[in-house]
Amino acid sequence: MTDFSVLEKEAKRLLGLYEEKQAAMLPLLWLVQEKVGHIPPAGEIWVADQIGIGVVHVREVVSFYTMFQTRPVGRQHIQVCASLPCALKGSKQLVRQLEERLGVKAGQTSADGNITLSTVECLCACEQAPVAQVNKTYAGMLEGKELERLVAHVQRRPGDLFEPPAEDRWHVDTDGPVLSKRFGNAGGTDLKTYLTDGGYTAAGKALKMKPEEVIDLVMKSNLRGLGGAGFPTAKKWTFIPKNRTKPVFLVVNADEGEPGTFKDRYILERDPHALIEGMLIAAHAIGAHKAYVYIRGEYFRPYDRLQKAVDEAKAAGWLGKNIQKSGFDLEIILHRGAGAYICGEETALLSSLEGKKGFPKLKPPFPAVEGLFRCPTIVNNVETLACLGPILKNGPEWFAKLGVARQGGTRLFSVSGHVKRPGLYEAPVTVTLRELIESDRYGQGVRDGRKLKAVIPGGISAKVLAADEVDVGVGFDSLTAAGTMAGSAGVIVMDETTSMVAALQSASHFFADESCGQCSPCREGTGWILKMVNRVKAGGGRQGDLDVLLKTAAAMEGKTICVFADAAAWPVQSYITKFRSEFEAALKGSEEALSCRS
Amino acid sequence: MPKLTIDGKTVEVGAGKTVIQAAEQAGCFVPRYCYHPGLSIAGNCRICLVAVEGQKKLQIACNTQVSDGMVVHTQGEPVEQGRAEVLEFLLANHPLDCPVCDQSGECDLQNFYMAYGRYDPRFAEQKVRKPKAVPLGPTVMLDAERCILCSRCVRFTDEVSRTQEFGIFNRGDRAEVGIYPGKTLSNPYAGNVVDICPVGALTDRDFRFKARVWYLSSSPSVCPGCSKGCNIDIHYTLDRPHLDDGARVMRLKPRVNPEVNQWWMCDEGRYAYKAIDRCRILKPRHRGRALGWETAVLELAGQLARIEPKQREESVAVIAGTNLTTEALYLAARLFGEGLQIRNCSAELPVLPGSHDELLIQADKNPNRKGAELLGLAGEKARPAEPWIQAALDGKIKSLWVIGEDLAARFGEETVKQLAEKLELFVYQGSHENGTAAQAHWVLPSAVYAEQAGTFVNCDGRVQALTKAFEPLGESRPDWLILTALLTRLELPAPGNEPAKIFEALAAAHAPFAGMTYERLGLQGLPARLDGAGGLGGPAAGAAAKAERK
Repeated sequence: MTDFSVLEKEAKRLLGLYEEKQAAMLPLLWLVQEKVGHIPPAGEIWVADQIGIGVVHVREVVSFYTMFQTRPVGRQHIQVCASLPCALKGSKQLVRQLEERLGVKAGQTSADGNITLSTVECLCACEQAPVAQVNKTYAGMLEGKELERLVAHVQRRPGDLFEPPAEDRWHVDTDGPVLSKRFGNAGGTDLKTYLTDGGYTAAGKALKMKPEEVIDLVMKSNLRGLGGAGFPTAKKWTFIPKNRTKPVFLVVNADEGEPGTFKDRYILERDPHALIEGMLIAAHAIGAHKAYVYIRGEYFRPYDRLQKAVDEAKAAGWLGKNIQKSGFDLEIILHRGAGAYICGEETALLSSLEGKKGFPKLKPPFPAVEGLFRCPTIVNNVETLACLGPILKNGPEWFAKLGVARQGGTRLFSVSGHVKRPGLYEAPVTVTLRELIESDRYGQGVRDGRKLKAVIPGGISAKVLAADEVDVGVGFDSLTAAGTMAGSAGVIVMDETTSMVAALQSASHFFADESCGQCSPCREGTGWILKMVNRVKAGGGRQGDLDVLLKTAAAMEGKTICVFADAAAWPVQSYITKFRSEFEAALKGSEEALSCRS
Repeated sequence: MPKLTIDGKTVEVGAGKTVIQAAEQAGCFVPRYCYHPGLSIAGNCRICLVAVEGQKKLQIACNTQVSDGMVVHTQGEPVEQGRAEVLEFLLANHPLDCPVCDQSGECDLQNFYMAYGRYDPRFAEQKVRKPKAVPLGPTVMLDAERCILCSRCVRFTDEVSRTQEFGIFNRGDRAEVGIYPGKTLSNPYAGNVVDICPVGALTDRDFRFKARVWYLSSSPSVCPGCSKGCNIDIHYTLDRPHLDDGARVMRLKPRVNPEVNQWWMCDEGRYAYKAIDRCRILKPRHRGRALGWETAVLELAGQLARIEPKQREESVAVIAGTNLTTEALYLAARLFGEGLQIRNCSAELPVLPGSHDELLIQADKNPNRKGAELLGLAGEKARPAEPWIQAALDGKIKSLWVIGEDLAARFGEETVKQLAEKLELFVYQGSHENGTAAQAHWVLPSAVYAEQAGTFVNCDGRVQALTKAFEPLGESRPDWLILTALLTRLELPAPGNEPAKIFEALAAAHAPFAGMTYERLGLQGLPARLDGAGGLGGPAAGAAAKAERK
């Protein structure tokens, strides 16, 4: 029996970070898991006692998040990403190889308790697909030597940390103009470098301005929410009620989870001060003195890097009380998720931050009016906030001019799948999807001289485009006009060897796995679709299946609290509609249509 | 106040109300699973979709605030299609085991499918397997496969009983309702989760497989289990004697009364119905010998008449229970106090300590102490009845008539035995066999609350009507009828031969009830007038009490 009383001092500190005790739920559960290796019932009861809540609600939370283990796991826990970008790069074969080499089946732990092998949904490291998480570290490009290195590591040193390769084996832009300038600092940009680079001058400037002036300035820059929705950032800020009695919170959405997207991870790891500076500017604009950064649980290293940067900034007087003698206070609390894609939806994120399951909230009220702890809250994405420093520094006109009519600046494009050079590219939204895929500056074309088959332009939720639809700008408005969406700018490229049935199976698996289960159309619809696609993929398709799939997808649309159900419906609709003959061949049992790689 | 149009009807509702509430006011029914007026809004089932003009998507009526000029359609093509689609999702993984499901006949999945579904099911995959027939506690059984995850039970135990037993574990289509392993669902209000479960996921272990709901008749009543007077419906069957050993009452269900119990009732009250058909006194008897009502009334009236008027003041005592209807209490006062001039006629006995809480359960387990108080038979101004027991043991009181109060439970069986030996006349008028009935010289079988019309006044002073569900068991009779027979036999004026008339007489004589009739009480009751003129313990009530005792 574990003695949890030794954790009480740390528990007290964690409880003290939040306005409401229950918000310490996830941190307390992480604490228990760090201590025991998993979360036993006694741990749940201890957490319930710390918070003063029914233990059933602790169990609800534990069972909701995939990173909380209720049974012991191996000293080396290998979690292979099974989402589409990794599936395109052979994650299924990788799992089979690992099963053979390590002598343990996926979903099981070796008899000696050393190794657990499992599959997970997107780790958001698609540039290094196929990828696995090995305890707290990402192991990427798991083929050939890297695979050998991993196998040797887990077999020889069951307790040790797996070291990622010293240098990037994929492309990461480092020349800006807005966001990627310091991405060359693979170890993370420290405060000294950041200051040398002119860091925090924008925040200093903003703190001397009136909040309304900051909002006006950002409004002029045409900055739009880069988490995926593309809502004008400054306009969102204006929704904070003027005559308010409650405190305002700034919440940073660092719950990057959209398959095909890995941009925020680079900001968090390589340029964390850019985020902090952006937070300072935003907090001042909306009148927030406390900010939470909700970071996805799998991002251990990004968390550590950001925490280090927060500590540096605080020590240098850029956070805390009376920042740089401006009279403005800002405290930043980092908060870890625990494995739930839905928490990237801003109200689900707030539920999760409040220590509950990641259930999206009914709207109205919108977060700006009643958000975190029922106080006015602005939730902004990492990349969005990281743009604020450059905007303040170079002026809104400069930023607006980098973009198109109603969307200023550049975007970080996560390019993955069957391109020669997967990676993270900073590009103006004036480029076309074709350029992102084919240009030497970006993806350098489809691998092995093959032909392009399809592209998902904005993360797995976006509707797929066929090879003849890629001459389209990558801005929010142009991709919406093309019948899809820019979303998180996660560009997933599929070549001619891709089975669209297999691709839909991967997408459907993702949505069925990640549906929070709150609204009936989504909860039942995602499972239903997955079962049907699984059956079709297994060669058990029947006449009429495609129409049932399309009708089921249509029935899910527009009927739920959040847009997850719509996002789950879109791949079904777009894959089947645009590649109908392939699906019909699959119904007839065509081998070609059913296999993932040629 | 915002004015809106729902299905062509204009309705004006309070600001801040939702469309589902406005539709209710307009008489347009909007189906619901997760919505419950007594719980917070969850908005997860999506069956309450309505079309709001100017909105592209269908909206859920439960979380859409009304606004002035809003035009809502609860019927028509898009709404009906939307509902049917939601139903198909809800039923996709549902086991469709209606023939063996206890909820059958009162299931909103069945009801709404017949009303809004009627599609050809297209789901042809393996359904999700979940735990079945899991006893959650002494009263509730869970079938997780039937559950539609509406979270009403979770919200009930979070927000109403505040006991936090239920949760929904896991996510996606693996989401599953349950309680924490090793815990039991045994809070005093557990049974309510069965009432609010819109499907057959939570069923009542007591009622399970006892009777099909379509065999049940229903009669509105008031729970006699404590002084709260929760409104209930008595569900009974008279023509299926093979069910539950011939018991007539199958279950009680709370009946909504916003002023009393809202939607709820406690388990103590819920399962107390079993006593209705058990251990009942079925015939009048004298020293163990059964006899007819005619003889009993004749004999007892004669004995009462023969007591010297002077003796009536000192040596006779009448103890009425605060579980009697107001009508019976009133008649007892008319007969024994006013008519026979017996001074020692009271219902004032100390309230025994009992379980209680801040939600519904009251320590006083009698349903009508307040009624007795308003009639002057209980409370500070009434004569305490407790000393009469000693007086009887001392031989000072020679005749004792007890109505509905089990003296043995209060003073012990030995005391009652001694009373039976000492007293010249010892009458017990009551519904159930007990220690007092076992010793009394005369035993008169009373009807129970379900077998008669009448009123109780609850602890907050609300006058509430009982209705007669079925005939009294055996030869038992309502107390009002027994007392009326005695009044008539003694040639004293009787206010009438039905409870409604007795109540009218009572209302005319006692200010707190002024102007009330059964019709006016209706199914929700009325507050007794406890203000100025008729204030409880105030001059008028005191005067009424005095008048009664005169």
